[in-house]
Amino acid sequence: MYIIARYGFIILIASFVVVFSITNPVFVQPGNLLNILEGAAILLIVALAMTLIVTAGGIDLSVGVALDFGAALAVVAMVHFAAPWPIAILAGILGGGLVGLLNAGLIVGLRVSPFLATLGTFFIGSSIQRIFTGGGGPISFRRMPDEFRNLAVGDVFGIPMEVVIATVLALIYFFGLERSIHGKRLHAIGIQRAAAENAGLSVNRLLILIFIIAAMTAALGGLIAAANIRMFTPLSGFSYLLDAIAAVFIGAALSPVGRPNVPGTVIAVLFLTIIANGLNLAGLTFATKDALSGAILVMALALAVMQRNWLKSLQNQMKGSQDAQ
Amino acid sequence: MPVLFPYMRQILSILPLLTFLLLLIYIAWNVPNFLSLSTLSLILVQASPILILCLGLSAVVIVGGEDIVSGGIDLSLPATAVFAAGTMAYVLSRLEGSLFLAFLAGLIAALGIGALNAILVSGIGLTPLLATLATFVATVGFADFVTDNRRINVNHPFIIGLRDGTIFGVPWSLFGALLIATLISFLIHATPWGRHLQAVGGGRDAAKLARIKIRPKVIGAFMIAAACAFITAFYVLARGSGYSPGVQDTLLVEMVLATFLGATFSPRRVVTVWGAALGAVLVAAMDLGFKSMGVNIFWTGLIKGSLILFVVSLSAVSRQRG
Repeated sequence: MYIIARYGFIILIASFVVVFSITNPVFVQPGNLLNILEGAAILLIVALAMTLIVTAGGIDLSVGVALDFGAALAVVAMVHFAAPWPIAILAGILGGGLVGLLNAGLIVGLRVSPFLATLGTFFIGSSIQRIFTGGGGPISFRRMPDEFRNLAVGDVFGIPMEVVIATVLALIYFFGLERSIHGKRLHAIGIQRAAAENAGLSVNRLLILIFIIAAMTAALGGLIAAANIRMFTPLSGFSYLLDAIAAVFIGAALSPVGRPNVPGTVIAVLFLTIIANGLNLAGLTFATKDALSGAILVMALALAVMQRNWLKSLQNQMKGSQDAQ
Repeated sequence: MPVLFPYMRQILSILPLLTFLLLLIYIAWNVPNFLSLSTLSLILVQASPILILCLGLSAVVIVGGEDIVSGGIDLSLPATAVFAAGTMAYVLSRLEGSLFLAFLAGLIAALGIGALNAILVSGIGLTPLLATLATFVATVGFADFVTDNRRINVNHPFIIGLRDGTIFGVPWSLFGALLIATLISFLIHATPWGRHLQAVGGGRDAAKLARIKIRPKVIGAFMIAAACAFITAFYVLARGSGYSPGVQDTLLVEMVLATFLGATFSPRRVVTVWGAALGAVLVAAMDLGFKSMGVNIFWTGLIKGSLILFVVSLSAVSRQRG
């Protein structure tokens, strides 16, 4: 019983994998499994950024804009200023950081709630993209330097570069959030901000820092996306937003204490990507696929939260019987 | 500070509304006939669908509390409206069913999503933000499924009437919106049930101690919101002369914007039914004003975003002083 309550969600993922592999043998071929990992990379990067913010009790609706800015500034630097690729990468990441800086200014400086502040940033960021691209036309760069291209298509010992980057980032986030004093501080802010302030934490400084780090992380995702298709497509970051939020909260529900956590986010991102990939291979029409993946998302969330509630009540029972003895 | 600026607090508290009034005066200055009755009617008609969605959203925010992440919010409403609109368009045009049948199907679709939200939030215990974000995605999927992600024309006389019809020169759609607004405002601000709703949002523990049953209030708020989305569906069909996929994204942004903008107008900075309605009307007025001034449509989003941030920060600053 306890095992099902603790690992129910992983069993659910496994059963989806089994169903997909039985209905379509292509699903389990190494090539497709690699596809899944590659498909998960950018979403994972954005979801990690979101995990950071949600851990500290906020939310960031502008991660998509930060992603777009990262891609845009890097591509523009190379196309219009003939910048070498390291400068382009730097420009992209700093450009994303600007979005975070604006958020931080609004949230810490003016004390606007994170939801409304990042909604405003999202508005402004989307609008700026429309203005500069004349309504949303892509900026393409066919002769992109190979080094930049390699962000997406390169590999390290046969493992695609984007998977490597996402994994390294996940590890950094894991140690930063779950194994360091700064991570503990962020959790403290997220759980009870007033108490964290009273305990002497410099809450404002940490918040400014994480909004900038989160935006830079999302911008890195944008660099990979731009390298992959050799162009900047305006307003493309938005598509990651809902999935990233869902991943963070599914991941939070998976932890026994119900807090956002990096391993949970990773599992949830893999789950979402596996579902998308499996449904794609199943050869359904776009409309059916849309309805199914939506329904699965709702069910997955509900199951994750139900599982946690169940686990809690089981733990309480066990505690109760121990106390009785 | 209090001695130097005796009226500071009062001035700060009306600044958000003042900002809008100044902007509207500026627009009226530059656009001839902006202050005519026909423009006013056009603004109100434009605002109607968002306004009705905002009414529903305000019910959920009032019962759940102001905090957007942990309190009450229903992001799925625009998708629910679009889903109901798609269902009705499908019944009316593809199945050539009667208006009554379409009405029934749309109502079931909308209330079904409302019930799903209520189950997720009240039954399973998901936070409303997360639950309704997920149902938003799912509901858009359902709408795509029902309509096959294609446009469906609707030329039923009732829908056309809602688009063009007038009574004594006043559009039908306005009467509808006003009726709903009055009804919901009465329900929330003037009945015992509504006061209990506010009590739950104001302080859940206190409400519990006062023996108010929490769960029926939360479920009720989500169902009211879904019913509002259902009515919005008619406006969506009327405005587009049928169903077109993809309307929900704009509706979502405008709905959230108008509702929380409305909160900055209220003296206590809380979401109220009439505040949300005023927010919807002002946003529509601003949109129309910019359009008539010939402002580049790409810039409108930028101006709107900055304005929201400005107004919301003003309100945040004045809250700290108060």
